[in-house]
Amino acid sequence: MLNPTTAQSVIDHALSLGADFAELFVEKHLTSSLNTISEKVKSVDSGIDFGIGLRMVFGGKVLYGYTNQTDAEGLKRIASNLAARDRRDRLNESVAFDFRVFEDRHPSQIVLSKDAAIDSKVEYLLKADAIARAVSESITQTRGYCMQREQAIEIFNSEGLHTTDTRNYIRAGLTSIASDGTEQATGGWNDGGLLGWELNGKMNAEYTGEEASRQALVNLSAKPCPSGRMPVVIGNGFGGVIFHEACGHLLETTSVAKKASVFHDQMGEMIASSVVNAVDEGLMSNEWGSINIDDEGMPTQRTQLIKDGKLTNFLVDRMGSEKTGYPRSGSGRRQSYRFAPASRMRNTFIEAGDSDMDDMIASIDKGIYASHMGGGSVQPGTGEFNFAVTEGYYVENGKIQYPVKAATLISTGPAVLKEISMVGKDFALACGMCGSVSGAIPTTVGQPALKVDDILVGGNA
Amino acid sequence: MAQAQSIDNGLKLASEQVFNRVRDAGAEADLIIIAAESLSLKASDGKLEEHTVSNTQSFGVRVIKDDHVGIAYSEASDDDSLRWMVDQALQNATFSDAEPNEKILDSQQQLVSDDSIFCPEDLATVDQQIDMVLQLEQGLLGKSLIKSVPYNGFSDVSSSRYLFSSAGLSAAAKQRMVYAYGYALAEDGEKNSMEGSGQMSRLTGQLNVPELIETVASASLDLLDGKPIASNHYDVIFDCECQEQLFGVFSMVLSGKAAKEGINPWRDKLGETVTDSRLSLSDKPLLMDGFGYALFDDEGTATKGTAFIVEGTLNTLMHNSVTANHFGLTTTGHASRGSRSTLGLGLHQLVMEQGQASAAEIYAGEYLEVTSMAGLHSGANAISGDFSLGVSGFLCRDGERVQPVRGVTVAGNFYKMLNHIQCIGDQCVWNWQRTALMPSIRFASLAVSGE
Repeated sequence: MLNPTTAQSVIDHALSLGADFAELFVEKHLTSSLNTISEKVKSVDSGIDFGIGLRMVFGGKVLYGYTNQTDAEGLKRIASNLAARDRRDRLNESVAFDFRVFEDRHPSQIVLSKDAAIDSKVEYLLKADAIARAVSESITQTRGYCMQREQAIEIFNSEGLHTTDTRNYIRAGLTSIASDGTEQATGGWNDGGLLGWELNGKMNAEYTGEEASRQALVNLSAKPCPSGRMPVVIGNGFGGVIFHEACGHLLETTSVAKKASVFHDQMGEMIASSVVNAVDEGLMSNEWGSINIDDEGMPTQRTQLIKDGKLTNFLVDRMGSEKTGYPRSGSGRRQSYRFAPASRMRNTFIEAGDSDMDDMIASIDKGIYASHMGGGSVQPGTGEFNFAVTEGYYVENGKIQYPVKAATLISTGPAVLKEISMVGKDFALACGMCGSVSGAIPTTVGQPALKVDDILVGGNA
Repeated sequence: MAQAQSIDNGLKLASEQVFNRVRDAGAEADLIIIAAESLSLKASDGKLEEHTVSNTQSFGVRVIKDDHVGIAYSEASDDDSLRWMVDQALQNATFSDAEPNEKILDSQQQLVSDDSIFCPEDLATVDQQIDMVLQLEQGLLGKSLIKSVPYNGFSDVSSSRYLFSSAGLSAAAKQRMVYAYGYALAEDGEKNSMEGSGQMSRLTGQLNVPELIETVASASLDLLDGKPIASNHYDVIFDCECQEQLFGVFSMVLSGKAAKEGINPWRDKLGETVTDSRLSLSDKPLLMDGFGYALFDDEGTATKGTAFIVEGTLNTLMHNSVTANHFGLTTTGHASRGSRSTLGLGLHQLVMEQGQASAAEIYAGEYLEVTSMAGLHSGANAISGDFSLGVSGFLCRDGERVQPVRGVTVAGNFYKMLNHIQCIGDQCVWNWQRTALMPSIRFASLAVSGE
């Protein structure tokens, strides 16, 4: 995408200004999205993002600029402007690029640059809609979407790295809206991966439609949620957002290096119950949060974060490594050329345990079974997090009683990790988008069902 | 207007190239171009940690052919890329269902904003701006118990928005905003707290860093001893930042598009009482003090004030030309479209009329003052109105903060809450991003979960 001679001249110019390190991140990003409302195609749109990000490091300082232009003089001008206050004698000589090809662990077939497959996507969504609305007359509307992207990147750096990668992302889903004439409620289902529209062969329109409507109808009948501190069983799959928020963000060196994480000085310490084993990795084939290389050009890997409750690794990018001394973990990620990379999660999950779901529910006198979770957020400095229950049930005397609505779980990362007493066997993964300092990136969350003995449930009963 | 910006010839030529190709295909179109230059700075341990500059533009076309709408965008502006963009939009249009209400407006207006007001020349140098962010971080670190300022920054953003149509519309608006923000981590033994705030202006010199330091420091330090309060129902006053965020999340209830699509809970309530009779809510896009100022919307319709709720009665919803056509109305000038997106709706500057309650009245007795909310993106459902949010703030009595509060949730239904208002204050204040001007509202008896 960028002539290597141009890249070499820009990087050499950056080094001539006294930079310790310089890097160009070139991106061409095709997008296509399709939206439906019930049986109608509401919108179809597509586009190309193209740009170049230039990163220079002077000591611990990051200078970053980006542009849509590709000319060498324009890029050099950005470098000179950025370095105006830091300019010094050259410290490093340029290293000739050594083009490196990394293994493609996530092969894709029906990719955007070859076939947007709009007809097939429309067929899928309209089928899911028809099934969803056939579930009940109370289902008044559905909203479907299919988003596909093809992100081609090229990285050059002053250590001689030159590499490329192409990431194909696909995600499709349906939301059902149920109404009883006065109240409205929603339910939804989606799936996705690091692959092309061959996802169509792995998804099931019948399941998508039925599941979205089932959730909407459950929520329509839900009662206000009891509130207070109580035990909660969190369902598998997207329930893993609890670990993502409560712990994952606090293990990113973006926070650790600033001592803005409550775990910054806890390496090797027991930070969770001994039943907790947690991993962040990018290797799983075609998984939504997977990558071949990170956005700094390092091959991805599997990083064991917690082993038997003990903190074993942080998520480390280049700058995080320089600041903390921990080795890079292939975790430098960014939304696009508009962002400097930062340490971020990939596929992050709690590994399967040996408890049965029935035993977890049976162990609760009064509490909640949060079968489906929504999103959440965390404040890394204090570890305080919140996340929403999108489908939940009140549990009493070891039995599920009735569905509840508008429930939120709040706690702190250190507290909740120690309150996990049972970890189930039904491990599953789910797609999510994670927003942080380097933008919104695809991440997978996951876990088996697990029991938290004591957490604050916010409800309005 | 005096000192109105002129539209770059290259952009006019690009738009003509786009429209020629659109006309050749028997279609009509509009083209939105967003161009921006930005500088952002972050400090760490007394040094500049990040320095980012950018210069970008993006083109987005909306074509309409035989009532079918297609959207495409490109960040490249060479001839080939613009041709590709138009062809993609035309192809996309073949897949969408017919929308007879969506037309390119028959407008040949030439609209330009006044750069001298909205994009004034900033004489501050980059060095001065760097000193400002360093001063912010150092000033906070100089406060007792403030251990770090993990999130801080200064940004200077100048953005231009151009809108052209095949009917002859030509509109341009440019604005500058500079802002500084900080989130300070306070620690005292095992206790910690992190809160923040910001300031926004059009000129660097108008930012008041010493004042921001005090605001951020007290936001964090005042909550250091925060703890849950007993679960119960409390009267709640959201501070101006939180109140604006709440109304923003639930603004779908004012959307003509959501009404057209059948999901707006107020879709059939025009002329009916929807809130407490003391509440009046408008959009005032031409209020020049705000950063939501807009001379025209994203269809090129000149904006004007719109009264949504008048003394509790729903007067109108917001509309673009599509939703207005659907309901047999005229657009209210709330069309919203980015270069990458389809035509939607957006508020400009939400303004609530001041109420009658004096400070003594609104702050009488016991109530929870909410100063920070978490989980708005996930814990609030605009379709049902239900919300449950983690919050921090202060338990207050008679206007005095008697206990900092953390680790609690506030839950309720926003639409029902608007009918359970104790009183509305008689002073209006902007949120720090200057997008909404509102008085304080004291909401009655919301469920708070704590101990």
